[in-house]
Amino acid sequence: MPETASCSVGSRCFSDLRGVQWRVDLGILPSSPSATIDDLRRVTANSRRRYASLRKQLLVDPHVPKDGGNSPDPVMDNPLSQNPDSMWGRFFRNAELERMLDQDLTRLYPERGSYFQTSGCQGMLRRILLLWCLRHPEYGYRQGMHELLAPLLYVLHVDVEHLSEVRKAYEDHFVDNFDGFSYHENDLTYKFDFKKFSESVGDAGEFEENHLKASSLAELDPAIQIIVLLGDAYGAEGELGIVLSEKFMEHDAYSMFDALMSGAGGVVAMAEFFSPAPYSCSLTGFTPVIEASAAMYQLLSIVDLSLHTHLVELGVEPQYFSLRWLRVLFGREFSLENLLVIWDETFACDNTNPNKTADTESYFRIFDSPRGAFISAFAVSMILKLRSSLLATENATICLQRLLNFPNNVNLPKLISKAKSLQDLALDVNKSNSMLVHSGLHDGKKTVITRGHTLSLDSASPRTPLKESYWEEKWRVLHKEEEQKQGAVLHLSRTESDPSPSKKTDRTNLPEPSARRSLLDDLARQLESVDIKKNTGGDDENKENAGCNVDNKENGECNDGVEHQDSFEVNGPDVTYLLSEENTPNLSGLPSPVHGNSDEANESESSSVASNSSIDENALPRDLSLKCTENDDSTGKSTAPGMKERKVLSGKFQWLWKFGRNANNEETSKRPFAFEDGENGKIHVAGFSMGDGCDSSSETSKGEIVDQNLMVSLRNLGQSMLENIQVIESVFGQDCDQLGRTESFSKNGVVGKEQVTALSALKELRKISSILSEM
Amino acid sequence: MEIYEVHDYLRTVCPDLHITRGEYDEDTRYLETKTLTIGQFKLGVCHGHQVIPWGDLESLAMLQRQLDVDILVTGHTHQFTAYKHEAGVVINPGSATGAFSSITYDVNPSFVLMDIDGLRVVVYVYELIDGEVKVDKIDFKKTTTSTNLTH
Repeated sequence: MPETASCSVGSRCFSDLRGVQWRVDLGILPSSPSATIDDLRRVTANSRRRYASLRKQLLVDPHVPKDGGNSPDPVMDNPLSQNPDSMWGRFFRNAELERMLDQDLTRLYPERGSYFQTSGCQGMLRRILLLWCLRHPEYGYRQGMHELLAPLLYVLHVDVEHLSEVRKAYEDHFVDNFDGFSYHENDLTYKFDFKKFSESVGDAGEFEENHLKASSLAELDPAIQIIVLLGDAYGAEGELGIVLSEKFMEHDAYSMFDALMSGAGGVVAMAEFFSPAPYSCSLTGFTPVIEASAAMYQLLSIVDLSLHTHLVELGVEPQYFSLRWLRVLFGREFSLENLLVIWDETFACDNTNPNKTADTESYFRIFDSPRGAFISAFAVSMILKLRSSLLATENATICLQRLLNFPNNVNLPKLISKAKSLQDLALDVNKSNSMLVHSGLHDGKKTVITRGHTLSLDSASPRTPLKESYWEEKWRVLHKEEEQKQGAVLHLSRTESDPSPSKKTDRTNLPEPSARRSLLDDLARQLESVDIKKNTGGDDENKENAGCNVDNKENGECNDGVEHQDSFEVNGPDVTYLLSEENTPNLSGLPSPVHGNSDEANESESSSVASNSSIDENALPRDLSLKCTENDDSTGKSTAPGMKERKVLSGKFQWLWKFGRNANNEETSKRPFAFEDGENGKIHVAGFSMGDGCDSSSETSKGEIVDQNLMVSLRNLGQSMLENIQVIESVFGQDCDQLGRTESFSKNGVVGKEQVTALSALKELRKISSILSEM
Repeated sequence: MEIYEVHDYLRTVCPDLHITRGEYDEDTRYLETKTLTIGQFKLGVCHGHQVIPWGDLESLAMLQRQLDVDILVTGHTHQFTAYKHEAGVVINPGSATGAFSSITYDVNPSFVLMDIDGLRVVVYVYELIDGEVKVDKIDFKKTTTSTNLTH
């Protein structure tokens, strides 16, 4: 027996034995410098035992009668049993899972089918994945896991082949010295006879092919040394301890896969990239893979702001392409050989969090460890590689195509070195993030991504000469915010702009912004009380006040609405008409963010988000017009858009819906308008509150899609606006007759003048809608 | 015709369907007997009203030898029975609906699920007795050299 190796297992000791090296990096094998080969062997043996017992426990064969004659009660354990614990039930569930696995496995690496498509390999992969999924039911099986497992098995296979090559090269020295007799059989489990080796070298120069002249273990080429020792059948733990073993490849691959997925106590756990739920202590509230994508984009913005802005403006959200990149760790973007090199580097990075003592949660989890930072940095360097081709196009689809079809002939070392240089930058990102979190400037729900939202809104908001003061004001406010953000690395939240100075503060008591929710409740109560009261002058006043109340605490756009109310306050009914009119455009301008929020929630497949939003937004105006025709009460038609909006919004705004229905039932013609204005004001508000305070994690997707679909939606909304205007006008025609008669008409009897003003307002609105339609 | 409805319904349960003619079936589409191979076993299906005396083991065994099958599936008596003898197994699953029979009193609905796995077949018998489903299990093993069956 050769002397036990004094070779210390440094962290990069196994440069040509990827399987072993990765096992060390992933934390399965001890990585401390003082670990001996025997330690390795023991750890290996233990992990294999664990797998074997797991297999026995979880793989179910109901055909095999249980030992000890303890056959299960047929009533419980028949194939048709509904009992979830029954053996047959588990058997069928496993079969179902296996069927799902097979769908993916048959398509795995077809270009390397000679290894991956063999039944032995497929069987191993299937079993490993099945057992892992059974062990981790909270994750289940997701497509992509098989692509993480395949290279792991492959490197183990390569190692074993390497071992057999070495054996062949030193064939005569691998001797089965079990009983002191030498058996020169070609047995798998035999050991290297160093003594014989030294003798033969000393004897003659027969072994020309061996350039070693070592006479003892220590003088052997260290690489061969290691291999020999790792393949030795007679070391610690015997056969179970052979580190490079073909027999136990499945066991080793399982432990590697498990370590990779669970992160082995570190930060980056691949399994989380498949999980639909956000981290438990997440600051962003996104699912881990979305968060990692956002992190990558943030790193990109630090490194190359123009490229980042370009991508954001086009609406290319990171998760469209980085989902695939991250989930299979770039397995689909590179050939297997290149991938192995990348994974070498990735696993070489430490996965533990260096500042574990920090009590604050970091903003982007992935940046917590060097390995995570490397992964993001590598992704960023890939994007940078495509910089020129991405900047060349203004079409988001082409950008995505280029990103998803990464060129094959890349200079990989260059990519890797670039990634390494960005790694430190990535590690620092969280520090700056946490500073902002602490300083309270940062709204935890917003990320850099949403910057795109404001930028796009900016570019999309129509400039009309018409309601110049209103739209211009809005544009100015947005522009101001954009300028604020340009300088900062990290997007600051849309801080509530100060209420415009011209606003009359004596109108209402401005409650605290934080009491937004209670305000809405107050509003509801006010409006309901209005229901009961007969229509008096106080109603409209209430409406406006209520509208103002809620508006004020929202951001500048609402304030602008308020402001506009101010300037028109003089003419009571006028105001209400105008309010209803002008609030509609606001309303129209908002559905995209509203939609995005309400429809999508934690969508992992964000590619569907874009299509969903666009469909919804296009559907909305059509629905509006449909709704318009459906309603009997013509005056109620104007409330239809509002009602539809509410339907779209989530249940939190049920009380709006109720209110809308009340409005519909009103008989008098005047009341709907009064209500409408309040409604629209509220909806306007609601839209913003959804936009600002919504907890939906889909905000990022919303932000990016907004600008893309805004054009289309604006056009459609222009149309619907036109229709609504027509409706109002028709109603107005009726109104003129009724106004004189009904006493519910509040302010004063000067019907004609107000009518004229209202009509001119309508005409102006027409112009706006035509502009919108042409966009 | 109702028979087609039942036929179609059973087809939706499983596309692999084998039917033999019963006592009152006039449709010549259905055969008197049928043989099929599942796994290592040869199965024979016959309604059984042709074999007289009805339900008699010896006569059924004769039929089984004629068809040269390991497992013979019969019926007609609306009574679950499972016989084993040196040449094979005769299984009568009874009536799945519990329909009236002139030769059996008090018919209990029953059916049989056979799990054929290699050389072993496990027969699960499901019977509805007094409103409760009772399950029983019977094991049959076939040896390759001879058709000796052991319980």
